[in-house]
Parts: sequence; structure tokens; C-alpha cells
Amino acid sequence: MNNDGDVVRDWRTLTLVVLTLTVLIFIANIHLEVRGEVADVDILSRFTHSAIISFIFVNSALFMITLALSHKHANLVEQALGTLLAAVIGALLYGLLVDSGMTVAGVATDVWSQFSIGAIRMMTADFAILLSLGASFGILLTLVTGRETPSDPLLELETTSFESEEE
Amino acid sequence: MLASTLLWQYWLPVLLLPLGIGLVVAKESERRLTGKVLLILLAITIIAQPSSLDSTIEGWSLHLLISLIGPIIAMLFGIWFTLFSGPIPVAPLPRSVRPFGFALMILSAAWFAWMVFEARPAIDGVSNPWWQHFVTSFLTSLVVVAGFAAAFALIMGDSRLKEASAMALISITSFLLLIYLLAEGTNSDDPVFWRSASWGALGDLGGMLFGSGLALMIFITFVWLGEKRMGVPESVEPLSEDETTTIREIISTNTGVDE
Repeated sequence: MNNDGDVVRDWRTLTLVVLTLTVLIFIANIHLEVRGEVADVDILSRFTHSAIISFIFVNSALFMITLALSHKHANLVEQALGTLLAAVIGALLYGLLVDSGMTVAGVATDVWSQFSIGAIRMMTADFAILLSLGASFGILLTLVTGRETPSDPLLELETTSFESEEE
Repeated sequence: MLASTLLWQYWLPVLLLPLGIGLVVAKESERRLTGKVLLILLAITIIAQPSSLDSTIEGWSLHLLISLIGPIIAMLFGIWFTLFSGPIPVAPLPRSVRPFGFALMILSAAWFAWMVFEARPAIDGVSNPWWQHFVTSFLTSLVVVAGFAAAFALIMGDSRLKEASAMALISITSFLLLIYLLAEGTNSDDPVFWRSASWGALGDLGGMLFGSGLALMIFITFVWLGEKRMGVPESVEPLSEDETTTIREIISTNTGVDE
């Protein structure tokens, strides 16, 4: 019970560290935005477009992976139909959003142009996240496994001959 | 408008990529082979694009990937050499390789910094339009991920102050580099463009977290619904006399022991 409590506390601390860093980055950006001039970036449009495109991509990817892993004993109908339906609903919602005039600045206002630019932007960010994860945890792994530990003293003890002791 | 070559040689491979990955991780060997063939075909299809990379926005994204191959390979080999030349019992490399691994990692970081400050990826003098978006997204996520790794080593590990300090240093350096770019810019780009890229990247990263999280939650709901619909399996009837006899014969044949 006590151990469970410790685990929860540790993960809470780690979550707090991540949140603090995220807030720090936001504050730094806002501070510099206020201080200097900046090109027109509608962060709300970018957030909305990115969220819907990610939703479509993740559901499509899960649909494809479900198809790839399906076999006769697995009951995957709900999974396959559900993810496909969610991706289609996401695409329709995105089309409605762009048609209603909520577009990202600096891109042609037709649905395909908005979607393709948003999708490439999202894939670029995904690539950046993957690289940062690989580099950080790769370096951490090399550091953690680099520590020399003294060998177990029990291994250096000589075997006692019980027969000779008895003699 | 969308050119048909882009549809067949960029967007279709991107769409089919998860199918290839799913097949590669399947249990059956035939599926794994199909997946490998599919992934190779997708790679060939993308590489064989007839149009030049600077003619479309999709082509520029491939150019970004190609531009970063050098630092990525240096980092991968650096991690590999350093990891396997350390005091580990699995497939160890000679100890003398370890400093070379660290040197490769430093080379990778220096190469990336040189690209940021001096040599922005370009074709015939035209800069890659995705570069600033990539750099700001990478530095932002590196601040958070390396910071998380530092806290993780400190909290979960045993006397890992040195490792935690190294990760904290990476996180702080990335943060300072990001702030420098936003405040001062680089030789090729005014800070205004960096600020806009960073602000947009924050919106994108936040949206990605929200959209992907929502999609995963919905997926978990579908799996739960599927499991719920399956119901409780029926109880199995006890073995008949014939079945018991057959099993006894098989066991005695294999073990060589009569009952």
C-alpha cells in the first residue's frame, strides 16, 4: 500500500515537472511576442486544425493496423468500423470547419490546401518529437548503463570443503 | 490543385505506412514478409518521384528529411557505440570505442547547431520552408522530454545525480537556444520569423496532443465495447472416455512411460 502511494507520488512529481516546463516555454514565447513584432499567427486556428488532423491520422493509422493484425479468431469488427467511422467523421468535420471560414493564415483557403499543409506540418512536428525522444532517452540509456558497479563480494569467496572440516 | 503524381507517390504511401508497420509486427511470417515488401515498395515509390523537391511543398518535406540524415546517423551511431562499449554483458564492443561514441554524439549536436546558425537547408538559394517549424518543434519537445528524463532519473533511479544533471543540462541548453533564436534570430532569418514559427508550433503541438489523445480514448472505448460484446465463454465439457484414452496414449508414446 505504501509502495503504491510512493509510485503515485513519483508520477505526480514527474507530471508536475512536465507541466512546469510547458508553462515556462509558453511564458517565454508570450514574453518575446509582447516584446517584439511578430507575423500574424492565429494560434487558435492552428490548435483546432492540428487537433482534427491528428484525430483523423491517428484513427486512420489504428484502422490500418487493425486490418494488418486481424485474424479469424479475433473479434475486431467494432475496432475496425469504429476507427474508420471516427476518421470519416473527423474528415467531414474538418471540411465543415474550413468551409465555415476558420482557416490557417498564409495558405490557400480550399479544403485540400489547408489539409495538406496542416498534415505536413503535423508530420514535421511528429518527426521532431520522435527525434527528441530518441536522442534524450538514448543519451540517458548510455549514461545509466555506463556506471561501473563493484562485483558481488560473495563471488570472490572460496568454496568451503565440508569434508575436510569434518576430518 | 493536387497533382496525380503527388497523390500516388506521396499521400498514398503516407496513408499505407501504418498498414506496412502493422504487417511487419504481425506474428505470422507470411504477413511479416508482406509488410517488409510493402514498406520497401512505399520507400521506392516516394524516392522515384519525377518532380524536383523544390517544386512542391510535399517535396520540401522530403528535402528536410534528407537534410537531417547526417546528424541523425551521427547520433544513432554515437549512442550505439557508447552504449555497447560500456560495462554491459550483452554484445560488448571494445572499451576504446566509447570516447569515439561520445565524439559522434557531440558531432551530431554541433552539426545541427551549424545548420541552425550558418547553413539553413536550401536548394539553389531557396530556403526550406519547413526548417523553422521543425527546429522550434524539436527544441520545444527536447526541453520537455530531456527535463522529464532528468526528473525521471533522479526520482526513479538510485544515486543518479550525475545522469540527471546531464539531462537537465540538455534541457536547459535547448531552452536557452530556443530563447536566443526567438530574441536574436540567425544570420539567414529575422527573429520575427522564429517567433512566429515557435508560436505556431506551440499551437500545433497542443492540438496534436489533444487530437491524438481523443482518438486514443475513442479507440480504447471501441476495444472495451468489443470485449464486452464477446460475453463470458461457455464452460468446457469434461473429457469423454475415448478422448481420455487417446490422450493417455499420446502421453505414454512421448514419455515412454506406461501408466
